[in-house]
Amino acid sequence: MLSRPITGMGAVASVGRGVAELFDGLCARRTGHAELRGFDRSRFRARHAYEVDDRGPEGVDVPARATGLLLDAVAQAAADAGLGDDLSGIPILVGTGLRELRSAELWWRDGAELDDAGLHFGTALRERFGADDTHTFSNACSASLYALALASDLLEQDDTDTVIVAGVDVLTESMYGLLERVHPAPPDRVRPFDAHRTGVLMGEGAAAVVLHRDAEAAGERAVRARLRGVAVNCDAYHVTAPDPDGIATAIRSAHRLAGVKPADVDLVMLHGTGTLLNDEAEATAMAEVLGEDGDRPLMTAVKSMTGHTSGGSGLLNLVMGVRAMEEGRVPPTLGLEQPVEEAAGFRFVTGEPAQAPVRVAQLNAFGFGGINAVAIVEAAR
Amino acid sequence: MTASVVVTGAAVLLPGADSLPALLTGPAAGGEPPAPAGLVGKKGLRYKDRATQLGYCLAVAALRDAGLVEGEKPTGTTVPAESVGVVASSNYGNLDTVARALDTIREETVTGTSPMDLPNASSNVIASSIAIRYQLRGPNLMVCNGATSGLDAVRWAATMIRAGRVSRVLVLGVEPDNEVVRRLLDGRRAVDGGAAVVLEAAEAAAERGVAPRAVLGRQTRAGDTAAVLERLSGDEARWLGPEAGPGGDAPAALPVEAGAALPEHSGRASGALGVLQLATAVGWFDEGAVGRVVALAGTAGDDASAGLELIAPGAP
Repeated sequence: MLSRPITGMGAVASVGRGVAELFDGLCARRTGHAELRGFDRSRFRARHAYEVDDRGPEGVDVPARATGLLLDAVAQAAADAGLGDDLSGIPILVGTGLRELRSAELWWRDGAELDDAGLHFGTALRERFGADDTHTFSNACSASLYALALASDLLEQDDTDTVIVAGVDVLTESMYGLLERVHPAPPDRVRPFDAHRTGVLMGEGAAAVVLHRDAEAAGERAVRARLRGVAVNCDAYHVTAPDPDGIATAIRSAHRLAGVKPADVDLVMLHGTGTLLNDEAEATAMAEVLGEDGDRPLMTAVKSMTGHTSGGSGLLNLVMGVRAMEEGRVPPTLGLEQPVEEAAGFRFVTGEPAQAPVRVAQLNAFGFGGINAVAIVEAAR
Repeated sequence: MTASVVVTGAAVLLPGADSLPALLTGPAAGGEPPAPAGLVGKKGLRYKDRATQLGYCLAVAALRDAGLVEGEKPTGTTVPAESVGVVASSNYGNLDTVARALDTIREETVTGTSPMDLPNASSNVIASSIAIRYQLRGPNLMVCNGATSGLDAVRWAATMIRAGRVSRVLVLGVEPDNEVVRRLLDGRRAVDGGAAVVLEAAEAAAERGVAPRAVLGRQTRAGDTAAVLERLSGDEARWLGPEAGPGGDAPAALPVEAGAALPEHSGRASGALGVLQLATAVGWFDEGAVGRVVALAGTAGDDASAGLELIAPGAP
């Protein structure tokens, strides 16, 4: 059965920078929710997002911010695993919803420079780390867990024994605008699974992990958790609306690949975007697969504090899930007061963080086009 | 050695070329841009961006060539839907939607935008739309990885097949030509089309009684072309070289004599290049070529170089 050691982790989001600081922030119920920082607010009905506050003057945006967050997360993960600064020969797989499309927007309207190599992340990873086997997958909101699946498959067969997997996204004006456009009223904050939520708002962030083929490949490094399986599929149903059947299939496949039963899962880091249709679809699929164990695992949705970090969100969930295992505590879901009917039986963490041993965690990520990814990780101890 | 991966179908669609033989001859200058409505019917094309429409044409042609769909307007495959994945490669795919939506937001505020643009704002719309149209429920991946993107897409499809994740994958590379792309390319045009292939586990192809058209060999990505050549060295090969940089600057001379998948007038292939190269190799093997073909992408001006080795079917 698959068991791939994770020996390095890195993360940055609106709530904080670094895995420990970010996790502690989430447990302290700190939210990155704030007024839009980089866009002209008069162009939008919605006014808020969960941005990383790393720009200069408010209202003025700068290019290549996604690249900056990505390099930060990768550097943290590489340092954590003791890989050093030279990552040549180590594949780096990056999952993203929007790659450097924000830079393209600033080029198209505001005179920023861009060439066609500036749309993906390979050039910057080469310059910073000497990395030469880099891959940008633009796979909507399940992108970074899709990248994790590909990394695991690569380790299956290649002579490579170490891979870095990352995920990143920042706001683009086009996606922020079109997302709010489809809401009847502009969303004010992300309240996953709450019956009175108003919809989804975007967030920014990046996460990265160092993954090895097996214990031998990990060597003397301290193992933080083990990847037991990642399932990926496609609903082939609708370009934006999710399909509970496709999601349920992905969850079942992940359990089968990892050799776990619903009763083995201690924690589910839900996709939970607060989007009007998606939370019900996720809850329906979860309830169907978990069956009579539906009230057993703890469940939480960190997007209630980070916003929807798009393609980076799956791996951010993974890193926070691993930290929850290490710490024996689980951050709460903010703003969840009355769960939707489909999720009524779930054991959500709300209010204060939960204190509980976590041995097996499930991570969910679902994207536009019905592309689903579900991962199972196991505590190192 | 893990499972062998073979090519069981291929398709090409470019101005001036809509078949493998036409690709080998070289698309004539001044060819008409492909008209998707005439190829796959008008139904379902509304609200789809140019890259996705071209993708539909390529997808159904390659699936048909591989014997995976039947009939005039197929809506599903002859094999289980979850056994077919999609890996699409495109760098410029949805730039037009992003630019247009941004223009509207800046000029009219967000209320001027169309909700129908939402799916197209996500770069994976090509891969997911094809899955929806032809009911392909396997892994669905969009690769946007610069000059090597097409060859990288082939590699990831093969990686998933070898790992036993999926039996077959439709791989396509497509780039649209439009005003936004031309501005990015300093006025040069993009190919406005691309190619698609079906990669399949050799065992799965044999089970269906389908003959391989090419066998995938070694594949690599490295900091420079010399390292790629070194890793793919071996018996005599026919070489397909990288394309000129976005500004039209020629790649550095190779120590081998390499042909081009496309003439200069076809425009920049970018994310479609690797799949066009693979289609070229399949065309050569169809004509009876033997031995191996090695395709290269990415030059000194790019973040890396990639190489893919293809072997004629039936070779020892």
